[in-house]
Amino acid sequence: MRRVSNAAIASVTVVALCSGAWLLRSGAEAHPPPQPSAAQAATGGDRARSVAPAMPHSPPSRIRIPAIGVNAPLMGLGLTPQGSLNVPPAEKKNLAGWYEAGTSPGERGTAVVAGHVDNAEGPAVFYDLGSVRKGSTVEVDRLDGRTAVFTVDAVEVYDSRSFPDAKVYGAARRPELRVITCGGGYSETTGYRGNVVVFAHLTGSR
Amino acid sequence: MRRTARLLTGTALAVAAAGLGAAPVYGGDTGSLEVFPSTVVPGADVTVNTAACGSDGTANGDAGAVGGGTFTLAASAHEQDAIGQFRVPPSAQPGTYEIVATCSHGRRVTGDLLVTLASTREQIQPRGHVNTGVGGALGPDPVQTAAGVAALAVAAAGGTWLLHRRARGDGI
Repeated sequence: MRRVSNAAIASVTVVALCSGAWLLRSGAEAHPPPQPSAAQAATGGDRARSVAPAMPHSPPSRIRIPAIGVNAPLMGLGLTPQGSLNVPPAEKKNLAGWYEAGTSPGERGTAVVAGHVDNAEGPAVFYDLGSVRKGSTVEVDRLDGRTAVFTVDAVEVYDSRSFPDAKVYGAARRPELRVITCGGGYSETTGYRGNVVVFAHLTGSR
Repeated sequence: MRRTARLLTGTALAVAAAGLGAAPVYGGDTGSLEVFPSTVVPGADVTVNTAACGSDGTANGDAGAVGGGTFTLAASAHEQDAIGQFRVPPSAQPGTYEIVATCSHGRRVTGDLLVTLASTREQIQPRGHVNTGVGGALGPDPVQTAAGVAALAVAAAGGTWLLHRRARGDGI
């Protein structure tokens, strides 16, 4: 029987030891979801961009954000007893929701879509929402068979303690969309400190 | 039996007719202008009606406050109301506006119209932050941890093998 040299065993042992230590160490490190940079904040200049004519009311069925590979079905969401927007079941990681008592995406006003950044198992549907940039496209399929196409105006992050309700949920004179997920840093005791909010307006439909 | 039924139906119709006949008396007493819908978004059509002008009365409507101009309320068979329509201009600002109708015989009635930017469906808006994460993406990566444990197991096996050889005097 051909002997395996001691040197070979020793080197495999050393490599395994080092890589095992590295894997355990880096695996335990936090991998926070991406957060928007200051450059993605609203500047007011987006008002000049073209606005497509408003579409009639129709519930949406699916949202796509090609820039971050999102393609997820939408469920209807209501409000919690505290008045905040409810969220889809956390165990369905590729599911987002829309506020069905409000404006439908494409209709004049502010339509609101929300989804999880993560759940107990790991990243969820809007994990990469914070890396969306101005000018990116958000598409919403509707039950009337049409697709509302939105262009991103800004991506901002807000602390839960000073959430700008009027800016995020307030009425708009043109068809607008908000896409919301958790973000803004994480605390072991209180969880995510805020929300990432994508602001977009309707620029086309088909 | 059949005759009784017919009689009852006849009585019911008579009562109903009496009720209808009595309606203008009450209607005439309410000197207000009904505005429907009473809450609208800019660009919407609004219908107003009033019973204040009497059974064959017409009226001149004035929605100038909200920028809807003047319009005519025509007599209608519906509860003997005078009915008219106007359009809220798309440029209308949110607020409460007084809509006025003046009957042909001079009586003046008013009603309020509330203009909002959002549709009524949107009146209840969510507030506060949204609970869309639990930090599950921040914990240890289970795949990476398992790979790390497996690598350490290989290292342990290698080390044991070497020690074993040394103990047997194979030379190390």
